[in-house]
Formats: sequence, structure tokens, C-alpha cells
Amino acid sequence: MASPAPLLELDRVSKRFAGHTAVDELSLSVPAGAVYGLLGPNGAGKTTTIRMIMDILQPDAGAVRLFGQPLGGRAHTERIGYLPEERGLYRKMRVLDVLVFLAEMKGMDRRLARVRAAEWLERLGLAPWGPRRIDELSKGMQQKVQFISTVLHDPDLVVLDEPFSGLDPVNTQTMKDVVLDLHRRGKTILFSTHIMEQAEKLCDQLCIIARGRKLVDGALGDIKRTHGGHHVVIGFDGNVGNAAQVFADKQLVSKVDNYGQYAELELADGADAQRVLAALVASGARLSRFELQEASLHKIFIDLVGPDAARAEVVQSDA
Amino acid sequence: MRKIWAVVRREFVERVRSRWFWIMALVGPLFFGAVFVLPSVLARSGVKAVAVIDAATGSLGERITDSLNASGHFEAVRVPAGRGGVIDSLTAEVEHKRLSGFLILTDAAVDSGKTEYRGSNISGFGTIMALERVVAEAVSAARLERAGVDPRVVAEARRPIRLKTEAIGRAAGETAAQSFSLAYFMGIILYTAILLYGINVMSSVLEEKTTRIVEVLVSSLRPFQLMLGKVLGVGAVSILQFVIWGVGARVLLARRTAPLATGDAADELFQVPHVSGSTLAIFMVYFLGGFFLYSSMFAAVGAMSSTEQEARQAQQPVAWLLVLSFISMFAMLNDPNSTLAVTLSLVPLSSPIAMPVRWAAGSVPGYEIALSLVILLVSIGGVTWIAARVYRVGILMTGKRPTLRELVRWVKA
Repeated sequence: MASPAPLLELDRVSKRFAGHTAVDELSLSVPAGAVYGLLGPNGAGKTTTIRMIMDILQPDAGAVRLFGQPLGGRAHTERIGYLPEERGLYRKMRVLDVLVFLAEMKGMDRRLARVRAAEWLERLGLAPWGPRRIDELSKGMQQKVQFISTVLHDPDLVVLDEPFSGLDPVNTQTMKDVVLDLHRRGKTILFSTHIMEQAEKLCDQLCIIARGRKLVDGALGDIKRTHGGHHVVIGFDGNVGNAAQVFADKQLVSKVDNYGQYAELELADGADAQRVLAALVASGARLSRFELQEASLHKIFIDLVGPDAARAEVVQSDA
Repeated sequence: MRKIWAVVRREFVERVRSRWFWIMALVGPLFFGAVFVLPSVLARSGVKAVAVIDAATGSLGERITDSLNASGHFEAVRVPAGRGGVIDSLTAEVEHKRLSGFLILTDAAVDSGKTEYRGSNISGFGTIMALERVVAEAVSAARLERAGVDPRVVAEARRPIRLKTEAIGRAAGETAAQSFSLAYFMGIILYTAILLYGINVMSSVLEEKTTRIVEVLVSSLRPFQLMLGKVLGVGAVSILQFVIWGVGARVLLARRTAPLATGDAADELFQVPHVSGSTLAIFMVYFLGGFFLYSSMFAAVGAMSSTEQEARQAQQPVAWLLVLSFISMFAMLNDPNSTLAVTLSLVPLSSPIAMPVRWAAGSVPGYEIALSLVILLVSIGGVTWIAARVYRVGILMTGKRPTLRELVRWVKA
């Protein structure tokens, strides 16, 4: 892929805490304008990675490059919006004051911040709450306020750590809309999640990590092609013939989930789906459905991360 | 920097807006006033009813009873000894609160100085002092007479003197009592204010930590800038608080009326002093020095705790340092120029309280003030540096409180 200079690059970044390695020589590259998903199970090192990008933690080894400069997030804070995984606001402060203060922390002019904050509150239906105290708001409203504080200064890069965790469906939708709107306006979005369905719908680029190491990264489509093209769904039309024998052929099929009139196959490495089809027809089975299916990101994730838990295998990607 | 300024403003505006600030503005002077007036009120604990069991020969018992009555502090009745059960019946009187106590007087009083007082309130310091004074006077008069001295000569010799003290130099025109009460007053305000605003800084740090806002903040400005803004902001609030108190005190004192101006000895000790400009300046400079010194420590404590309870425990060592300096104040008051007093007013952890107290209690050479300020400034630099390093690591930590060894590692990191 011919991509422009990456907006964010990690070069073999490592972070160790007493006793364990949270992030281990992680390299990744986020192109400008991408919606980039940082995926991994809990404890994979997503938050630590993001904190290193944000200059909250210093890497023990490796380098972070942002906007083409070898500097962490704090140097570019005006251009970055950050929503941490654990959220909270000053409970006793007024909504508008909190927003203005956090925008000032991002280097925004006070008066401009006030105007923008009012606009955002209006847009997300919180306008009447501006002069109220944070602790008078419902949890959902507080989440919206926090989200506003992330994007109020119109950052070029928005970093969201588990943005959808704990959100109700309405807020999730609102947030997705805002993220997509930012994307349309050319902003770069980096977000972490362990919920694959969301990543699948939102990201165009992603990186899956587990135990601090990268398992795979690249464009969503590429990953699906490389890791998901060996999946076949079969429907029988009454007569299954000698299908069981075909399924048992380790040359063709590596894994089967047989329901009788319905089966999901995973093809063996190098096996051709057409040969499976031929063998099934030859076995006398009547097929109502034979479909080469793209694996869901969820499946890829489980396949990659599941065995990782046991073997800590690292898949080199061709990114 | 603009961001530090924004942090300062947030701390300031939010605090001044809070109800607590205005409650303190109103209640503070009352509290300090109470601290100020209470000792004299307590010392003037009213007239006590006492009995004197007189088992002594001669007129000692009568004399003591008369002097007790004349002192104005007691209403004394002489009870001749010899009647059986007199102690028991008087004890019952004390138990029924009809009597404060009774004095048992024998010839031993004159011979060896032994007397006994039994009362409901042995620890009533002022009462015991007054009682002792009266008995001592009567006993020594009796001893002199027994040695053959003319009672009139004895009376003449016992006539009390009144020592009028007047300070020389800076505090010219002030009485010792005024200097004493000023010093006492300043010590209490310094201690209370440094503790109060230090803890304010601590809870502010803790709030950002527990709500995790600190992550967003630290990705926007350096932890040191954040801590600095916080300390400056709370410091500004404290200055405003002092200004309000100062103006309030001026107004109150200008229209002060009788209650504070009775001629009691205790009142004399706690007179409302005149506060000069230089005293005020010394007070503010050392307050700010002490505030910066201690609040950066409190900030570090807030950073290394995860909950209010944890912070309350962890702040104790810091608070003890302050309590120690406060207690040292009494060494100042006793002798403002003793080696101990001079040392305490130079040592950085105690100087913020000790030096202003010493200054108010007597005069302090200029070079000592300069030296103590230099030491204080250097210490603020050092302590802030260490505190900032603890703060930097601590604000992002969750879970258990660090051990001392871990703290050392944080500082070295």
C-alpha cells in the first residue's frame, strides 16, 4: 500500500513494570486519516501503549514519533485529543467550566473554548446543563461531556482508550457518529477495544496485540484476506452422502463444526475449496449451500489470541 | 506559562466559589478569637468554695482562710480539726459539688512545707496556683515570725511588687504581655493555616487522581507544572483568606468593646497586641514559605495515596513535623533567644512557625532572618524537587501505597 508518511509511529517500543513486560518491542504505524484499531484482550498492553504515545509513561526502549517528529504526545498536545479508559471529571465543577479548563490545558484560547463548548453541548443535547455541576448529571451525560472535552480543541489525532466501554446504546451511537464525522473531516483516529464487532465496523487499519506483542497489523481487508480466506459454510439438502469422510480428510479440512444439515469448515493449509466441493459432490451429498466465507474479525482475533494464551506464538505480518 | 496559569485560576476560582471558603472566612476569626480569649476565660474560673481543716497550732489556719477570702478566687471556711469524721463529711460535700475541695493544714506545713489539698478538680491549674501562692505566703510569714521577726516587718517584706516590662528596640512601646500574646496568636494561625491549606492541596491532588482526570492533564502539561499550579492556586486562596480575616479583624478591633478589656491578670497576659507592618510582612513571608514547603509534601502524599483514608494515614508524618514545630513555639515564648529557639528558627521545617513567633516575642537580628530565609528557600527547592518526583510517579499509580523503599526508587528514577 502506498500510504503517506505515517502520522504516528512506534518503533520497537517496550515498557516493563516490576515483574512483567507490559509492552514488548511493539512497532506500529498509523497513517494520517486512518481509523486505526488497537485490539487485544484485557491486559494485552493496549492502555500502556496509549499512555506511552500520550507521554504519560516513558518507554524503557524504542521510540514514538508523532506528526513526523521524535516527540511524544505532550509536545503535540494541542493537536491530540485523548479519552482515557478510566473516566472522570471534577465532580463539583460546572460543566462549561470543566470543558473550558480542559481545552485550556490543550492550549486553546479561553474565550474560543467557551464558544466551542457551548456549540458542542448544543450538538449533543446538553445545552441546558452547561451551568450545572458535573455531579448533577447522569452517568451517560457525564460520558458525553468527557467525550466533548476530548474533541473540543479540534485535534488532528483523536486517541480513544476503550471508548465504548460502559456506554449505553444511545451514547454509543452518538459517539460513533462523531468519530465517523471526524474521520470524514480528515482526522486520524486511534482507538483501543477488545470488542471486535465495533472494530470491524469502524476501523480501516488495525493492530492486534496480546501480552504486549504484536500478532498482526495492517489494513482490515488485507488481514481478513490473509487470515480469513479458509472458511467454508455448507448446507445439505437432505442427503449428506458420505460427507463425514470428506470432513475427516486432514489434507482438505483442518477443523469442522458439523450440525448434520449444516457445517462450518476450516480448510487445511494450502487446500483448495473447489476440491472440497468436488469431493462432496462425488460422495453423493446434495448441497443447498456452499459458501466461501470471510472470517469475522472476531474469529481471526480468537484464532490469533486464543492459542497465544497457550503458546505465545507471534505471527509475523507483511505490513 | 498559560497552562500553569489556567491551573492556578481553576484552583482559585473553584475554592473561592465553594461554601467552605466563606464558612472559613466567617468562622475562622471566631475560632482564632476563641483560641485567643479562651485561656483567660478558663483561667478566670470563678470563685471556689473551699474549706480549711485547721490542725495547726497558732493562727496559721485563720490567716490562710482570710488570705484565701481576700484573694477573690476563693470563699474559704475554717473548720477546726479534732472532730471525728470531718474529712469524711467534707469529702461528701465535695462529691455533692457543694464544695470545690478542702485544705488539710497541720504543723508540718510550717516545719516541712507539707500540706494537702483534696478537691473535685485537682487539675484546675489556675486554682492550684492561686491556692499554692496563698499557702506559701502564709507559711513563710509564719516561719519568719517563729524565727522572731516582727510581724510588721514581715508584712512590709511581703508587700507584692509589680514588674512593669517594656520591650526595647523593634517592639518598643509594647508590653511583654502584648509581645507574648502576639507571638502566641501568630504561632496558632501559622500552624492552622499551613496545615489547612496543605491538606487542601493534598485533597486536590487526590481528587484528580481518583477521578483519573490526571491522565488527561499529564498528557497536556508536565506533572511539575500541574503541581506548581495547584500549590500556587491554593496559596492564592490562602492569601485572600488572610486578607479577609485581616480586614475583618481591623473592623472588629476598631469597635471592640468591654468584654476584652477587664482588668484581670489573665487578660493582661492575653492583650490584643498592636501588629506592625514589619511583623505582618514577616508573618506573610514565613507563612508562604511554610505553605510551599509543606504543601509540596502534602501534594506528594496525595499522589501516593489512592483513597481518602489512605491519604489521611499517609499525611500523618507530615502533620507531625508541623505539630512538632508548633510545640517548639513554646520554647520560643519561654526564651526567644535561647540556643534552642535560635536553632528552631533557622531549621527549615520549624522556621516557618518558629521565626515569626520569635520575632513577635522579642527582637531578632536581621542577619538571622536573612539566613533563615535562605535556608528556607533552599529547602523549598529541595523538598519540592523530591515531592515532584514522588508526585510524578504517584499520580499514575493505582493500588497499594508504596513502601519507603519504592518511594526512594521513585525519587531516584
